[in-house]
Amino acid sequence: MPPHSPVPPHNEDLLTVRGLTVSYGESRVLFDIDLSISPRQIVACVGRNGAGKTTLLKTIAGFLKPLSGSVTCDHASLVGRMSYDIARMGIKYVPQDKKVFSDLTVRENLELGSYATKDYNWDRVTDYFPKLKQLMDRKAGYLSGGERQMLMIGRALLGSPKLLLIDEPTEGLAPSIVTHLKTVFGDLRKNTALVIVEQNLPLVCAISSKVYALKEGRVVAALADRESISVDACERYL
Amino acid sequence: MGEAMVKAFRWWWGILLAFSLVALSRFVLPLAFINEVIIFSIYTIGCSFLLGRVGFISFGQPAYLAVGAYGTAFYLSYFGTNPYVGLLLGVLSGLAVSGLVGPLFVRLRSDYFALVNLALAVIIYYLMQKVLAEITRGDNGLWFLTNIVATPVLDISSPNQFFIFALLVAMAVWAFYKYLDDSIFGACCLATKVNEDKLMFLGYSNYSVRLTAFIIANTTTALAGAMYAVYLGFVSPEITSPARAADPVVVTILGGTGTLYGPLVGAIAYTGMKDVISKLIGNWELFIGFLLVFIMLAGERGIWGTLQPRLQALFSRNSAPAAMDDRATKRP
Repeated sequence: MPPHSPVPPHNEDLLTVRGLTVSYGESRVLFDIDLSISPRQIVACVGRNGAGKTTLLKTIAGFLKPLSGSVTCDHASLVGRMSYDIARMGIKYVPQDKKVFSDLTVRENLELGSYATKDYNWDRVTDYFPKLKQLMDRKAGYLSGGERQMLMIGRALLGSPKLLLIDEPTEGLAPSIVTHLKTVFGDLRKNTALVIVEQNLPLVCAISSKVYALKEGRVVAALADRESISVDACERYL
Repeated sequence: MGEAMVKAFRWWWGILLAFSLVALSRFVLPLAFINEVIIFSIYTIGCSFLLGRVGFISFGQPAYLAVGAYGTAFYLSYFGTNPYVGLLLGVLSGLAVSGLVGPLFVRLRSDYFALVNLALAVIIYYLMQKVLAEITRGDNGLWFLTNIVATPVLDISSPNQFFIFALLVAMAVWAFYKYLDDSIFGACCLATKVNEDKLMFLGYSNYSVRLTAFIIANTTTALAGAMYAVYLGFVSPEITSPARAADPVVVTILGGTGTLYGPLVGAIAYTGMKDVISKLIGNWELFIGFLLVFIMLAGERGIWGTLQPRLQALFSRNSAPAAMDDRATKRP
């Protein structure tokens, strides 16, 4: 597997979405979406249920084919690529449902991630999530929600992805784990760009350098500087 | 060195024990019965792997069995006399046919996959029975027992030595599948069965994983077909009869789906019941049908799937090495 190409400089966008329109059959879900993400930036997508946030991530990750529009990463188009191909380009998707491979142990789950990326160094994963060290031989099906989320994010970190797409990472988790994830996301930014779909607005406002508010499949606001990002500002557009 | 040997023994001991028991049964059971059990278990392990690991149920295994058997039979009837070459050609035929149809079949959903394989079995049945009757001699079948020459070292033209050969082949097959189970590929197979989308998130192609598993499983089935051909010295279209299409699935479920030793236990139970019950009542399949219903209602774990945790508990109480088959316990 080829190593991921070096991330572009700060002033150049890592991921660019232009005029993205997506439908499920006859029903359009996203309308003419534009967004951009710079390297080592945390971008949040907020919106009510059904706003199209998950659809947006799934389209970027290659699970849905857009009706029109473009998605480019490092000047390479992602539209039409298979999702495993996009994952191999270093764009990892962590879905919302927290379903791990429950029949496999934590170690085997990580091995799957390692084999795909040829990255067998788990130090970064266990540094961020030390608890996984103690759970290596436990079946993933027996992990708590928070432990599963750690495993899914840890597994996605293997191969040093340049972009992580994380869907509702804190949903249903205990406050202490949310605090831990907040620290991890802040630290991950040093090497990786993150797109986070999240309903937890205080968390979003604390870690994001850009927030897109989605409503009924459209981007209704893009808060692009730290001063303008606040819980009140986000709520105004929801 | 000592540590490596202990490690190797721990890895091998289940296989060695299982096939030692099969070998010892030679002293109490008829040779024909044991040979049939060994070949039937090799026939079933591919189906068990597809069903238990990849989540594909196949009612077309007789197609691949027939391809292996006829690959060997054509060589031994028309071209040569060395049974080892015949076996090799049978296996290569299975590899070629699975490589040809696999790219089309593995794209299908599991239910369509089951039916398209059954359709292939029907096609091969009529090809061998009618279309290619001049070469296959139709329902009369190909007889080539007298063509098979004695071979040096292990003369598989002799039933006694064929038994040793079959035992060694079966051990190699089981070691290979145990290795697959323990490998990343085995984990990928299970992952594609459980959640194919998630496997793609990690950068794996479900199609490649399924195709590889399909080719491995059906080449193993073709090996069983080739062994049948050499052992019996006869092949007829009956080997791919649609009426027998469910046999490997039945044996898989009977033994314990997804367990390493399930196919062996299932083959012993199925062949044993067939031999014993068919002497007592005419319709022995009726008994198998009731037994399968009972197994499903009792928890779908099959004979080995039920016995294995109990044996494991017994062995662990006695501080013995890890249980023979940890695959069943790996799956909650």
